[in-house]
Amino acid sequence: MEIVMSVLAGLLFMTGVYNLLQKQLLRIVIGTALISHGAHLTILTMGKLKDGAAPILTDGVENYTDPLPQALILTSIVISFGVTSLLLVLAYRASKINHTDNMEKLRGNDYE
Amino acid sequence: MSNLAILPILLPFLAGVLVAFFHKNLIASRIFSIIATVIHLALTIFIFMSVQESGTYVLEVGGWEAPFGIVIVADPLSALLTMTTAVVATAAVIYAPKSLSRIQEEFYFYSFFFLLIAGVNGAFLTGDLFNLFVFFEVLLMASYGLIVLGNGKAQLRESLKYILINLFSSMLFVTTISFLYSVIGTVNMAQAAERVGEVEQQGVLTVIGILLFFVFATKAAVFPLYYWLPSSYTVPNAVVSALFGALLTKVGVYSILRTFTLIFNYEVDLTHTLFIYLAMFTMIFGVIGALSTNNVKLIIAYNVIPAVGFMLMGIGIFTETSIAGSIYYLVHDMIIKAVLFLLIGAVTYAAGTSDLKKMGGLIHHYPVLGWMFFLSTLVLAGIPPFSGFIGKLLLLQGGLNQEEILIVIVALISSLGILFSMIRIFIGGFWGEADIMDLPKQKPSLAAMTWPVGILLSLSILLGVGAEMFYPAVSSIAEYVMDPELYIESVLKE
Amino acid sequence: MILPVLLPFIIAIFIPFLSKWKEKFHTGIVVTIVPLIIFIYFASFFAGGFSAVTKTYNWVPSLNMNLVFHLDGLSLLFVLLISGIGTLVALYSIYYLHTTENLGNFYVYFLIFMGSMLGLVLSDNVYALYSFWEFTSLSSFLLIGFWNHKHASRYGALKSMLITVFGGLSLLGALVFMHSITGTTSIQQMLADSEAILNSEFFPLILILLLLGAFTKSAQFPFHIWLPDAMEAPTPVSAYLHSATMVKAGLFLVARFSPMLSSSEWFFIIVSSFGILTLCWGSYMAVRQTDLKGILAFSTISQLGMIMAMLGFGTKVAVFAAMFHILNHATFKGSLFMVAGIVDHETGTRDIRKLGGLMNYLPMTATLAMFGVFSMAGFPLPFLNGFYSKEMFFLSSLDLSGQGDFASIVASLVPYLAVFGSIFTFVYSMYFFFGTFRGRANLGKLPKKPHEAPVGMLISPAILVLLVVIIGLFPSFINEPFISHAATAVYGADASKDIYFWHGFNLPLIMSLTVVAFGTILALTIPRWSSVYSYVPGVLSLNKAYDFTVDKSVSFSSKLTRGYMNGSLALYMKLILGAIILVSFAFFFLTDGFAIDTSQLASVTTIELIVAVTMAIAALGTIFTNNRIAAILILGVVGYGLSMLFIIYRAPDLALTQLIIETVTVALFLLVFYHLPSLNSRGESKPAKISNWIISIGFGLLVTTVAISSHSSKWFDSISSYFVENSYKLGGGDNIVNVILVDMRGLDTIFEITVLGLAAMAIYSLIKIKNKKEE
Repeated sequence: MEIVMSVLAGLLFMTGVYNLLQKQLLRIVIGTALISHGAHLTILTMGKLKDGAAPILTDGVENYTDPLPQALILTSIVISFGVTSLLLVLAYRASKINHTDNMEKLRGNDYE
Repeated sequence: MSNLAILPILLPFLAGVLVAFFHKNLIASRIFSIIATVIHLALTIFIFMSVQESGTYVLEVGGWEAPFGIVIVADPLSALLTMTTAVVATAAVIYAPKSLSRIQEEFYFYSFFFLLIAGVNGAFLTGDLFNLFVFFEVLLMASYGLIVLGNGKAQLRESLKYILINLFSSMLFVTTISFLYSVIGTVNMAQAAERVGEVEQQGVLTVIGILLFFVFATKAAVFPLYYWLPSSYTVPNAVVSALFGALLTKVGVYSILRTFTLIFNYEVDLTHTLFIYLAMFTMIFGVIGALSTNNVKLIIAYNVIPAVGFMLMGIGIFTETSIAGSIYYLVHDMIIKAVLFLLIGAVTYAAGTSDLKKMGGLIHHYPVLGWMFFLSTLVLAGIPPFSGFIGKLLLLQGGLNQEEILIVIVALISSLGILFSMIRIFIGGFWGEADIMDLPKQKPSLAAMTWPVGILLSLSILLGVGAEMFYPAVSSIAEYVMDPELYIESVLKE
Repeated sequence: MILPVLLPFIIAIFIPFLSKWKEKFHTGIVVTIVPLIIFIYFASFFAGGFSAVTKTYNWVPSLNMNLVFHLDGLSLLFVLLISGIGTLVALYSIYYLHTTENLGNFYVYFLIFMGSMLGLVLSDNVYALYSFWEFTSLSSFLLIGFWNHKHASRYGALKSMLITVFGGLSLLGALVFMHSITGTTSIQQMLADSEAILNSEFFPLILILLLLGAFTKSAQFPFHIWLPDAMEAPTPVSAYLHSATMVKAGLFLVARFSPMLSSSEWFFIIVSSFGILTLCWGSYMAVRQTDLKGILAFSTISQLGMIMAMLGFGTKVAVFAAMFHILNHATFKGSLFMVAGIVDHETGTRDIRKLGGLMNYLPMTATLAMFGVFSMAGFPLPFLNGFYSKEMFFLSSLDLSGQGDFASIVASLVPYLAVFGSIFTFVYSMYFFFGTFRGRANLGKLPKKPHEAPVGMLISPAILVLLVVIIGLFPSFINEPFISHAATAVYGADASKDIYFWHGFNLPLIMSLTVVAFGTILALTIPRWSSVYSYVPGVLSLNKAYDFTVDKSVSFSSKLTRGYMNGSLALYMKLILGAIILVSFAFFFLTDGFAIDTSQLASVTTIELIVAVTMAIAALGTIFTNNRIAAILILGVVGYGLSMLFIIYRAPDLALTQLIIETVTVALFLLVFYHLPSLNSRGESKPAKISNWIISIGFGLLVTTVAISSHSSKWFDSISSYFVENSYKLGGGDNIVNVILVDMRGLDTIFEITVLGLAAMAIYSLIKIKNKKEE
């Protein structure tokens, strides 16, 4: 299953990157979201999958799934959420001020 | 005593949170910020001194023993860099009010500033890879806040690119940490070093190391990953650019230095040779960039890149001398980049433009500014006896001792290119007829901008002329860095 | 010995204050005293027989970078020149520079130069030497740019800086190399250990780097082009830096290292050829100049070439003559520069086409010029020092025996070229003198009515001319205490020599007479043959090559940088990703990093497969849909799919968090993009599409490959068992993930919240701060 998940993570990265390389802001932001999903799925896969019970101590259960990746993912999810929200608002503002949602038109050589 | 280690993170963190509560009261914010940075400076100096004396402080946060909990490791290298950060921060916070608009100050500049410092210090001090990721996010998020501050058209445009590229590299970062975790079962840096050593960095580990390098190299602006840098360092306010130029790329360089001396040092022929070549191209393309424009701020921004090449060169050559060179250069570059961005802020403020073609004759009106700029040009170009020379000399020595002729020659030519790009500003902007520019009759006073820069610049000169005061410390740090056992032992206490 | 070197720097600090009273008290008066004191100090070393002295002052001992001053014959010759000429030039400048000029700046640069130059010639430590070396270049830059309101000044300053700093950097390369080979930073110790350097496989490179430093500084062909443009500096500076002292630093360097280098055949070939070539080219080009200082600049170039050539010959006579000529050149060229300055000062022009017949108006000046000029031309008269060294030059050019084919070709050509160069030296000397002082005066063309210079301005050139004559009449006066020591230090063995006027009717004398004869003819017929300059150099000038290089380096940089730094995020991402993919796969290959281990895998169940396939289809769907609402919703499907996976893989907390956050994110997406234009077709060009696919597939593949390899290489137990064991015991919680988050890795969580807070502040300021355009 880990291999399937690795492939799926790779696919999420692939689609994420493909979207990231597009011109329209919406697609780009969608791309970043897909990449985050890919990253989180990878972290999860890198612990052992289904190797024991959910990491909540229960009497009589000896084997638990690796809890550390889960903790890391949780931190990362929250951070990604923060960045994505900022990115969305920024995308909105930038496209309003620059009158375009086309990244290729947001090249620009003026810095004032 | 080891609790001290976390203070350089906690103090700016608390300051950043507190100052948010009275962000509309500028007078109070400014006074509070200056006091806080000065205390922070004193604190980091104290930590550096005591680390020099009594060795590395390791704080196991929350009392969770290493390698299970998070450790904060104030070793000589980290202590040195937090101290330098504090120096730059102090100058920046004094300079800020003159440079920022009221609205920028009010909208959480000081909070962003302090949290940026907290993030930077955290990145220098942490002994845990995932925690490093978190601190990266803190400093990045603070930098996002700073770069958009003011909502200029170009600012929004460039910050979008800046955030997207950094977001991508952050995601690659966590992914890579998980790869590493899968193989060696830990995220503690000391234990990672130990375990990677046990299997002699075999199999997939080198690739993981390279991915990690790319993550840091994106932050550090190494060839071919620096594209985001020039514009995004040009659009924000001068004081923000100074913080970015002095601190952000250096966090990347530090991370490369740390991971590739501590953890991934078993395939030196492959990885570090790659660094040498990348360093070479970083210098070349950085210098070419610096020569490519007439926008003075952009020239300075491009000059961030070859400096990164110099530091990476030392890591790539990987001897005690060259590492000492990189560390010396790191400290030097943090200070001089702050100086240059702050100075160029004053220059554009005085000239009313950042286009070199529209400038001229400024030295007749602002001699102090002009000479400070000239001196900092010499410092940057590595003219002896200023600070850039000491680091460069060590790098050249390291390079020639290892018979890395090509990179040495590229480094020498780059120095000339750096000097050329900077002296163009001096000749074009400061020299020339006195009345060539249409300056206002009432010249604005730049004193509030120049004196904090003056202190930084004097420090930078002292770092060169008084190298005897600093070099022995740097040399012993390099010796320490090249012996990863010392770090591992002090964290894992075996 | 440190005090005399530091004295100029110390005084320089006070100059800006002193210059506040410049109207009443010319700053130059104080400055004149400084070199005088230094001169007297160093002259005192003559008393009681001279022997080399070394003094060490610690600077950065941990880097072997100290101020080690080594005063031997060679450095003594130079320090006396620097301080002696320095005194005269400072004195002259008092009359030359009016108090309305920015005297403060001028004298600060002047003193910095003087201190650096003293340090340069005294330093035994290579890094100290390099430091002083760069400082002479910098002070020269500032002095050339003294009148920076003129474009030509700025141009000349930049040119000199680029070329000399280029040389300085290559010198640094050579010095670090030698340090690295010998392990010492002392020149004397390097010379003692010269075998190690000579036998190093890098010796050719070291030689080239060192000579690049020397040739750029001493204006050797083809690096001489900065010197004529340096004439934009005030004339005292030209006399001092760009004739008597700084440009001789390159000669000094070659002389300093010649005990080591001269045993190399290539040293002889390179240095002699470049020297002779410079001599010929400089003297030939001097006749073409119309600016008095231009003539003198090319003349300096040619004389430097001659001395360089003699250092290259490396024979006893040649070395002696080189040292002798360094002194002689300083005397006559210094006086001629001052003369040119006087002419400029008194007539308002230095254009030789406008000048002429000034002998009647400036008789004193003309007399001084006459001595200088004939000494420079090497006219065989016993009271002209220039003749003696020129004669020795001829002598030394005759007894060369090169070993090896190439060296012997050079050796056999040298005498002819020496005569050729000297003929033109004679021609430009006459051209300078007769063009300025003889012929018909044309006062109408002159900006000012000429009259004799003030006495003060004549003192310095008069003293120099007096030296010309004294050295000519009594050469032994300076030989024993001075030249012999210097030559011995350079030659490495006793090189003292007697100086005679009459050597008998020998070949060198015939050469001298040939020079005079042909020189006179050519000088009289300049207009008839001057058209030759339109063929050689014609349009192919080295200046154009320099301009081309500098302009092109800027325009090429612009073009290249604008080419790829075009602000396109897609391009940046492609380049970044391309690099990551290429290098990572290369390392995979190089380190044999791929691994796959299917023995410990979790089982594959249908439900997981269904979720996975759904996610995959949805992810691909985001690429192909052109409907924004659909795209956002499909993205939601991926997110919810992920939380399904979290449930399946026993991560209930994650599933919950992911569910909430996904919902909020989708809402945010909808909210924001409701205001933006709808998606249209992507409008990618075909090549862009292909490269996008290659990059994205490549990256996906990379992640999958590393993931599989990492997962197949679990060589260590995870630290997680500690968390499972201690979650309740030490952390007091059943939910291990929670305990990790709030306790074991609590620091992460604090700063994770900080990130959220920062994001909130950033968003708030993004929304609240209104852009100017919007108001």
